[in-house]
Amino acid sequence: MRAARLRLLLGVLLILVILYGQDLLGRATAGGRLDPALRDVTGPVSVVAVLDFTPERFHNERLARYGVFAGRDKTVNRIRLRQVSPENLARLAAVYWVSRIEPAR
Amino acid sequence: MIRATRDLRVLLPFILLIAVWWGIKAGADVSDRLLVSPPAVWSSFSYLVTHGILAEYASTSLWMIGAATIISFSVGVPLGFAVGTNRYAARALEGSLRFLQGISGIAWLPLAILWFGFTHTTTLVIVIYTLIVPIVFNTMTGVRAIPENYVLALRSLGASRLRIVRDVYLPGALPSIVVGTRLGMGYGWRALIASEMLVRQGGLGDLIFGARTFNQIDRIMVGMAVIGLLYIIVDRLLVQPVESMTLARWGVLRR
Amino acid sequence: MTSRRMSLGNRLLWRLLPAAPAAVVLIAWSIYWEIARPPPSIMPSILAVIQTAGELTIGGRLPGDVLASMARLLGGAMFGIVTGVIAGFIAGLHRPTSEFFNPLVVFFNAISGIVWLPLVIGWLGLGTALAIFLIWNTVFFIVFQNTVLGVQLVPEVLEQGVRTLGASRWETIRSVTLPGALPYILSGVRSGLGFGWRALIAAELVGATTGLGQMIFSGAEYHRADIIIFGCLLIGAIAMAMDRWLLVPIEKRTVRRWGLVAQGRGR
Repeated sequence: MRAARLRLLLGVLLILVILYGQDLLGRATAGGRLDPALRDVTGPVSVVAVLDFTPERFHNERLARYGVFAGRDKTVNRIRLRQVSPENLARLAAVYWVSRIEPAR
Repeated sequence: MIRATRDLRVLLPFILLIAVWWGIKAGADVSDRLLVSPPAVWSSFSYLVTHGILAEYASTSLWMIGAATIISFSVGVPLGFAVGTNRYAARALEGSLRFLQGISGIAWLPLAILWFGFTHTTTLVIVIYTLIVPIVFNTMTGVRAIPENYVLALRSLGASRLRIVRDVYLPGALPSIVVGTRLGMGYGWRALIASEMLVRQGGLGDLIFGARTFNQIDRIMVGMAVIGLLYIIVDRLLVQPVESMTLARWGVLRR
Repeated sequence: MTSRRMSLGNRLLWRLLPAAPAAVVLIAWSIYWEIARPPPSIMPSILAVIQTAGELTIGGRLPGDVLASMARLLGGAMFGIVTGVIAGFIAGLHRPTSEFFNPLVVFFNAISGIVWLPLVIGWLGLGTALAIFLIWNTVFFIVFQNTVLGVQLVPEVLEQGVRTLGASRWETIRSVTLPGALPYILSGVRSGLGFGWRALIAAELVGATTGLGQMIFSGAEYHRADIIIFGCLLIGAIAMAMDRWLLVPIEKRTVRRWGLVAQGRGR
């Protein structure tokens, strides 16, 4: 019986890590991601999401959820997003595979 | 200490497999388009994890199987009870259920796609269908296997219908219900992957089928391994413990 | 149940009940179709399905497709049964071997069937070879596991008894283990063929040029729900026919003929 309970606990833990692990990780490190200039925005802004790898279509599609996808900013690992609302900005900051979020020039 | 070595010994055959696999790949100089070496698969796995891809696809599949299981269980068990307790209903439905069992959920996929499009709804419907048939069937069988005497005895003592369900039907049918659910989840997981391959709206099936288009054999193998691993985790670390615990507490073990 | 005296009416009802769900479905289908007149890509009329069935069967592509599918099933199942029984005996007779390989078996069982599709397309291309591989995969694991179970459940006492009478290892297997494991093996074959048939349809849905599954899939491409519905019903009918008229009699005849008792095989 005790063995069954332990297994169940382990199973639940593993599933929770798979489902929510990345979210939590991203949220915990969100502060370091957002450029100070973007800390207290009140309206839609244009930003550049900087990645430390070449994005695949998967990543572009995910980023497009947070704003209007506006192509790349100079190099292929810098993605422009326009009209990012403050809520979406917070969500974007919690995406752990994004390295930095800078204001667009 | 002894427990630990016994658990670790589970890994031995896999180590052997990886060694043989690596040997074939390197020794026969198999093309990368056919087979990829273990280190390549590992680095692909790391990439997919650290770049957010694997977690998302795996989560989609997990949510889907979870939702489908809950829905199928909530609908299927009461249905199975209703049908199992009524002789005529059982006789009416048994043959048709058996017939449906012969038509896998995957066969209905094209029809579901015509009706619901390439959406998650399609996948959900197909997986629910796949899950619900074994659940209803097994619940029905479990209920019908309960000796009528038990029911009559309780009724003669004045027990209400609900009481009879709780004290006789439920414990008596529980082993069958649990077996049916477990079977159903096995079939359902397979149907889920197949559906995701066709519908291509996320999930591990989508991942491995999509990787095919770009000949990313390493990703296909990562996907396959994860599919197997997740099923084993869900089956052995979630369903089986629940099975043991419910049977130990309530079950009339009729193995 | 029928020992209780039932009126003639009740007996008739009892006979007809299994047809009730089908009748309900047909009636609901007709009513819906009359009222809503849905487009043929969503829900064809019953008549349309019957018509299509006729067209496909007589001079149409159906006989060839069914034959192609059955041939693949037979090919893959034959491979699967032979390899499954042989591997099952090897594993079953030698417990350390079966225990060592068990984790592998569990893992590959978890990914058996269509999960191999993307990988194997690269090895075998689309078509019959692919389908046969997927069926082999499905059938092998079921037959293997049932064979192992059957072999391990043969009472050791019987085997040892025959050995003390001077039988060789091989003779023991042939005269004791094989008949003893046979009920389980046949049960495995029966399950395996059922699952194999289902896996075949899945395989053909995704990659084939002929066959019942492919017929259904191309029906979807042309938005012909009537083809799909007819095809699915046919799949179910073939599964039932195969089981009832092929497999159950085989099981009964061999088990009965050799006087074997399958202990506690409730399923």
